[in-house]
Amino acid sequence: MLNEKKKLNKGSLITLIIILVFLIATIVLENTINPNSLLFTVIRKAAVYSLVAVSMNLLNGFTGLFSLGQAGFMLLGAYTYAILTIPNDVRDIIYYLFQGSSFHVSTVGFFEGILGDTGVAAFISMILGVIIAIVAGGLVAALVAYLIGLPVLRLKSDYLAIATLGFAEILRAIFQWDKLGKITNGANALRGYPTFSDFNIKAENGATVLRLSSFIPLLFAGICILVIVLLINSSYGRAFKAIRDDEVAAEAMGINLAKHKMMSFCISSFFAGVGGALFAMFASTVQAKTFTSAMTYEIFLIVVIGGIGSISGSCIASFLYIACSEWWLRFLDNTQYINGTQLPLFRNGFRMVVFSVVIMVIVLFFRDGLFGDKELPDLFKKRRVKKDGE
Amino acid sequence: MANNVLHVENVTMQFGGVVAVDNLSMDINEGEIVSLIGPNGAGKTTAFNCITGVYEPTNGLVEFCGKPIVRNHPQGKMKKNYLGQNPDMYLGEVVANTPDIITQQGIARTFQNIRLWKSMTVFENVLLAKHMNAKQNVFSATFRFNKKEEERMREETMELLVQQGLDKYKDEIATSLPYGLQRRLEIARALAAEPKLLLLDEPAAGMNPQETEELTAFIRQIRDDYNITIFLIEHHMNLVMDISDRIYVIEFGKEIAHGLPKEIQKNPKVIDAYLGG
Repeated sequence: MLNEKKKLNKGSLITLIIILVFLIATIVLENTINPNSLLFTVIRKAAVYSLVAVSMNLLNGFTGLFSLGQAGFMLLGAYTYAILTIPNDVRDIIYYLFQGSSFHVSTVGFFEGILGDTGVAAFISMILGVIIAIVAGGLVAALVAYLIGLPVLRLKSDYLAIATLGFAEILRAIFQWDKLGKITNGANALRGYPTFSDFNIKAENGATVLRLSSFIPLLFAGICILVIVLLINSSYGRAFKAIRDDEVAAEAMGINLAKHKMMSFCISSFFAGVGGALFAMFASTVQAKTFTSAMTYEIFLIVVIGGIGSISGSCIASFLYIACSEWWLRFLDNTQYINGTQLPLFRNGFRMVVFSVVIMVIVLFFRDGLFGDKELPDLFKKRRVKKDGE
Repeated sequence: MANNVLHVENVTMQFGGVVAVDNLSMDINEGEIVSLIGPNGAGKTTAFNCITGVYEPTNGLVEFCGKPIVRNHPQGKMKKNYLGQNPDMYLGEVVANTPDIITQQGIARTFQNIRLWKSMTVFENVLLAKHMNAKQNVFSATFRFNKKEEERMREETMELLVQQGLDKYKDEIATSLPYGLQRRLEIARALAAEPKLLLLDEPAAGMNPQETEELTAFIRQIRDDYNITIFLIEHHMNLVMDISDRIYVIEFGKEIAHGLPKEIQKNPKVIDAYLGG
């Protein structure tokens, strides 16, 4: 047993070091190079997407439930977060089309009322308010997932995917409904709530002392992913995998299918909701029309590219995917000149063509995704196992 | 008279117009090894599935240790189309349990075509059978507040693997084991659920004579070691005659004979059924 633990630690240790180096590098870079660099947009968005991708992987990859409702749960999380954290004094301006909001509780304002609204106290109450609103976003998503799950989880494979996709679309339509305008602001955007840049530590005179706006999303997403990893390695995680591998055998060994599927569905939705709240912070406006099924497909693509059933795969794939779509392939959309002659093909939309080809290549040559069902620590362990075999 | 473990009474399973199990009744007592035999398609596995809750029988009653675990009467469309007997005998209360609840009550089973969890190691396969009885919930398990429980599960699993001689394969992926060992692992997994009654669905399928012989000794041994009752379906007559205390024979879903192995061997109906006389 002891020996096994040591071996496990080696792979995990290297992974841990990689993650730490990445976190530290993010903080250092953010405070040294131009903070408007696209790199930071990529890091923030990819951190959010990796959390949502991992939550989708928990459902699709580990429990074997093919669900496409992720964007819907993100929408719930994002709206809950925004509605709960918009400061009361700007609420009426944002909801002007509906003559003000009918909701007048701001979690940040609540803590400011207790702790004070200046300096450090304001900063701490902002953090507390944001965290509570994020968790609330997750809980709302999980609650709705529970209600949706009651009828829908009886379905299997493609039918479940269609049903969840449908529910996500219905949710989007409901949030754009004028009658709910006093709460959701209809089809208009919600804004004015704390975003990642509010986490930059500022001096009294307003100058930024320490930039944390890219570190914070990594931290939040990282904590959530850690919880999912712990869950997957627990007894319940094993039960989820058993359901994925063989439902009949799982049921025959005393695993309550309905209960475990519901659990997985709700937990996955909880983290999708948290991801949605983080996405709201990233985008700094929330509008129902952003949470389309295309967003779910994007996330599903990340899961597939990373490897269905691999957490580290999903994380790395989401960074690669977002970097490609937001940064590395951007130049393809702009008109390019060489010696004054305009290159053909380089115009708006060409990026997506190249992108599709890249994805096809990945799907063709890495059938199981980049990682298959392996994790990052496994890659470092492999060599050791071979040595042991000799 | 030993205690009754499993009591099956007039169980009928009808799929559309096909009566797969027709008015089957049987009793299994504590510590016995009882076999269910019959030609291909006789409804043996269907009978198993009715007992373990995979199917809900159309009519009939199954009791486990005196407690009804399945009880049903023809309902809905079946009321009109029912082709079996005793349609009015079990009116009233309907007891329908899902397989997981029946397993939790103490009936574990193996499958005709091995159903191990293919992405998991040997150790995890057995460990998971302990999941249902562990005192934990999803929060305590995620945040590792259930350390004691988890350790107990791991220890018991290891103990069982050592007893079954599977400990040296514990870190291998379950489906990479040779066929005979996979069978054994499936039985070990069922034993990990700590059943009172073990249902084995063709445990010797695909085994050579020597492996079958080993299996015979193995089944006897687990009956004695773990103090359980065994009910099995099998086609290898050597094994069945060797091991069984009693045998039930069914054909086309109906029981055609039951008794001691010696009696069954001489029973003309059974010989007819098998030789197609």
